[in-house]
Amino acid sequence: MTAFGVAARWLHLAAGLGLVGLVTATLLVGRRDRPTVLAWEARMLRGARALAGLVLVTGLATLAHQSAVVTGRAGAALEIGEWTRLLGHSQFGTVWLVRHGVLLLLAALLLLREREESVADRLALRGEAWLLAGVGAAAMAWAGHAAAVEGVGLPVAMIDALHLVAAGAWLGALLPLAALLRAAARAEGADARPFAVLAVRAFSRLALTLMILLVATGLANTWFQVGSVPALIGTSYGWLLLAKVALLIPVLLLAQHNRRRLLPRLGGDGDAVGRPAMARLGRFVAAEAGLGLLILLLTTGLSLSPPAVHDPVWWPFSQRYAWDVAAALPGGSTRVLIGVQITFLGLLATVVGLLLRSWRVILVGAGGLAVGAGLWVALPPMTVDAYPTTFLRSSVPYHVVSVASGAALFRTHCVTCHGEGGRGDGPGGAGLPRLPADLTAPHTAQHTAGDMFWWLAHGIPAGGMPPFGAVLSEEERWDLINFIRTLAAGEQARQMTALVPPGRPWLVAPDLAIVVGPAPPRSLKDLRDRWMTLLVVFTLPESRARLVQLAEAYNTLQALGTEVVAVPRGDGSDIIRRLGGRPPILYPVITDGAADIATTYALLGRGFGPARLSPREAPPLHVEFLVDRQGYIRARWLPGAPGPSWDTLPTLVGQIQLIDKETPAGPAPDEHVH
Amino acid sequence: MRLWRVVLLVNLSLGLGLLLGYLAWGRESTRLAGELEIARRQQVVAGVERTWQVRGVVRAVLPELNVVVLTHEDLLGFMGSMTMGFRVHDPKLYEGLDIGDRVRFTLTGVPPNVEITALAKEAP
Repeated sequence: MTAFGVAARWLHLAAGLGLVGLVTATLLVGRRDRPTVLAWEARMLRGARALAGLVLVTGLATLAHQSAVVTGRAGAALEIGEWTRLLGHSQFGTVWLVRHGVLLLLAALLLLREREESVADRLALRGEAWLLAGVGAAAMAWAGHAAAVEGVGLPVAMIDALHLVAAGAWLGALLPLAALLRAAARAEGADARPFAVLAVRAFSRLALTLMILLVATGLANTWFQVGSVPALIGTSYGWLLLAKVALLIPVLLLAQHNRRRLLPRLGGDGDAVGRPAMARLGRFVAAEAGLGLLILLLTTGLSLSPPAVHDPVWWPFSQRYAWDVAAALPGGSTRVLIGVQITFLGLLATVVGLLLRSWRVILVGAGGLAVGAGLWVALPPMTVDAYPTTFLRSSVPYHVVSVASGAALFRTHCVTCHGEGGRGDGPGGAGLPRLPADLTAPHTAQHTAGDMFWWLAHGIPAGGMPPFGAVLSEEERWDLINFIRTLAAGEQARQMTALVPPGRPWLVAPDLAIVVGPAPPRSLKDLRDRWMTLLVVFTLPESRARLVQLAEAYNTLQALGTEVVAVPRGDGSDIIRRLGGRPPILYPVITDGAADIATTYALLGRGFGPARLSPREAPPLHVEFLVDRQGYIRARWLPGAPGPSWDTLPTLVGQIQLIDKETPAGPAPDEHVH
Repeated sequence: MRLWRVVLLVNLSLGLGLLLGYLAWGRESTRLAGELEIARRQQVVAGVERTWQVRGVVRAVLPELNVVVLTHEDLLGFMGSMTMGFRVHDPKLYEGLDIGDRVRFTLTGVPPNVEITALAKEAP
């Protein structure tokens, strides 16, 4: 079924773009009354009719294939009912109908008996055919990946539409021009030769514009569908795209050869000079078209693959280069910048050398050396070990359920070596070749969540860490990583006070479900954009006075755009009854899943001061977190801690107003750890 | 007829068709939006008595106001899930009711003038 789908879409794409190019070629040749040109025109009209037929037939085949893909049954490919359902209820269907309506109109136009009585008739026929073929090709963008880009679907689809039309006008015109050159290169084709030369020159100018357009729109498409270098290198979509670019290089070299060498030699009319060059150019142009068909095959593969931005990335190399790593080293960023500048100068010298004739060897040689030296300077500080999963994104969101599950797994599998507090001081770690890592150390750019995922599965042989791939499922490994990130973030959060600091927020609030009795659960994330949140982790009876104070201030806090969410430490099923109704406490009090929230936020609510004082410090009885509208924890309050206190309500209100007034400095946090 | 005229006519009719289709679609969507708005209003304030049976958890009992405050499920077509106080039809309904009790209750009335007409504790 896949082979059928690829074949159908490939032929459909090739025929659709071919129609655009074929009409472009006839427009370039213009109105000529020489027999050879007329014969060529007649052939082109027959060709256009055949292509229109092919595009309609393969269009039906793509519809059949899509029906099978959508329903997951091969049999659905031939069920008319499924076709009508697909056509009536999907964007693919709407675009298909519009496109095939336009293509049918084009087919009807091409079947008209041509009576070219005037220039106006001729132009009207060709102009209309070009317009319909162009719309037929451009509209494909609305049924592909481009239209699915979130938020900017329309502009991205328009860029893709431009890419498609430009590709059609360029690739599709190659074979018709090759046919014209072949006809004109024959002994009896002398009458067509001057027109063939003019047409090829006009095409050469047009092709340059089209190529710039194709590269620009192609880069934009890559930005939206791939988005990063790892995604380009580590996904099947990226590989197909690289193969497409690799195929484009010989096409461009061939085009450059044709333009530079063969085009000037066409001018000489006569058997000796013009004809052999013309025949050769015809063959080369046909070869370009052949490569173009292969490029379209790869494009079909791209359209059927998930875009790289949504696909897991498998990094094929044992190293990677990252600016962040260099920036973290003393003097690293300076070294990289110097190296980059040397590389740039080297590239500049190489390009200038290629353009000049007299100094070419020296300039290119020196440029090459400078590029090498620049890379030698710039790359080492940016180099860091990498693994196949380095750029893999977590499949488990940063949620308290995952962190709490990770905490349990940590106690089972990791404490022996990494120690109860995760500081690498467990008894089992003493005899290892390398001391176990201190997992509470600040997260560095040195390793990604994907690196940790790899170490958890495969171990670190040099350090003596065993592999857990057979013991822990993928989900459990991500749970552990979520826990470790919270552990490290919590260590940094020790410095967080009750005052909102200026600058970029950094501490992400792990998501949680707000469940109050039988009411449908909301999540902390649901409150984003609308509410700030005062998350109160409490213990009875110690916290009662504070909870009552918050209940009395609840109206004020709500008026300031702040929701209060109270989380009991331990079992919450009976907590509302235990809080009692005098005075009534009406903000959400979590009744289910409170233990996971308390476990996770206890990690972020540890006391001030140096980290290593007590490895087994007890979780705080009462701690409050102020979460901004983006989902970052901005301040926290531990009763009894030195400094400003939120139990004087104006202090809390002041912090809320501070957050309320600011404009977000960056994007909302990602749902997953990195 | 000359070919260019045919082509022009076809394009004109295509353009006209698109324009008419667009206008008709615009009218249709305005009409549908209006109908939806009317339906919404009718649902809430048309003076029709409605009844909801939902679950909730008791947050406060205020006998002096004859009100029970509950965190409740969605009241379809009236309000989403929230913590809200409702008048009680018969004070007997909240006799023996404790804070934190999970209950199933019936809300009856012409929105927004609704009251609790039945209330039963759920097994803990």
